[in-house]
Amino acid sequence: MADWRPSLISAVCYRDPKAALTFLEAAFGFELVMLIEDGEGNLVHSEMRFGDAAIMIGSEWSADHKSPASIGGKNTQTVHIKIGSDVDAHCERARSAGFEILMEPETQFYGDRTYRARDPEGHIWTVGQPVQAVSREDAEAVSGLKITGWI
Amino acid sequence: MTSRVFVALRVKAAPDRAFAVFTGEIGAWWRPNGLFQTTPRDPGRLAFEPGEGGRLVETLADGKVFEIGRVLVWDPPERLVFSWRQANFPPDLLTEVEVRFEAVGEETRVSVEHRGFDRVPADSAARHGFPDAALLARLGDWWRVLLASLAGRI
Repeated sequence: MADWRPSLISAVCYRDPKAALTFLEAAFGFELVMLIEDGEGNLVHSEMRFGDAAIMIGSEWSADHKSPASIGGKNTQTVHIKIGSDVDAHCERARSAGFEILMEPETQFYGDRTYRARDPEGHIWTVGQPVQAVSREDAEAVSGLKITGWI
Repeated sequence: MTSRVFVALRVKAAPDRAFAVFTGEIGAWWRPNGLFQTTPRDPGRLAFEPGEGGRLVETLADGKVFEIGRVLVWDPPERLVFSWRQANFPPDLLTEVEVRFEAVGEETRVSVEHRGFDRVPADSAARHGFPDAALLARLGDWWRVLLASLAGRI
C-alpha cells in the first residue's frame, strides 16, 4: 500500500463515530483521509490525519471496545496532541466545537503550555505547545522529581 | 442507502492542475489491481473523453476498447463524477465515483468517494467471496494507492 502512516496510531472508539469525525475536525482540524461505510451507512473504518500523524475513529465494534459514554465516562487511555503554535486559540476552537475544557491552557514546569478537554462522548484529550526550553536540572529542581531520559 | 468508500489526499498543486492530471493523464497514473479487474484480459490503458457524457475507456493490448463508465458530472476544477463497472459485474450494476478537488492553501485536497460497491452480488466473481467490510476496505486501500500515484504524477 502507498503508505504515509506513522508507526504508532491510536484507534479511538465512539458510539457515534460519524459524529466524532465531524466534531474532531471542528475542534482540532483533523482531516478525514479514509472512510468506509456499509450499505446501511454504518462506519466500518475511518482514518483522520493531523500533521504527520494519524488516528483511527471507530465504533464500539466488539464487547471489549467501548466509548467512555458507555462506561460511566472512564478513560483507559488518552491521546496527546502536540502543536507548534497558539495553543490558546486551539483551546478556544475546541470549546466552540462543544468540548468541555477540563483545564485551561497553562504553562507546565517542563516547558509546554497545555490544556485538557473532554469531547462530547467523554474522551479526554490533552494538547500541548512547547513554549520554552527547560533543562533537566531546572525541571527537577522545580518539580522535585527525578527525571530520566530528558532530551 | 449505499456503501461509501471515501479516501482523500493532499497534492501539491492548484485544483485546475489536479483536475487536469486526474482526467487527462489517467493512463499514466492509473494502477490496476488484481482484485478489481475491469476485464478478464491484461490491463489496458485508461482514458477519459472530456465533458459530460464522455466515456471512461480502457484500451487493451489487442486494440479492443472496454467502456468502464460515463462522465456524469464534468465540473472543472472542482468536481468529477463518473460511473464505474467491471466486465464481471451483472449487466445492470453500475457503481459511482465522485472526485472533488478542494483548494487548501497552495495545495489541493483530492477526495474520492466510490459508492455502491456493496451491490456487487454475493455470488459474483467480482467479490472474491469477501463480505462487505473486507471488500470495501480493499477498495479503499486501492484508491489510496491510486491517489498516491496521482500525487506522484502531479
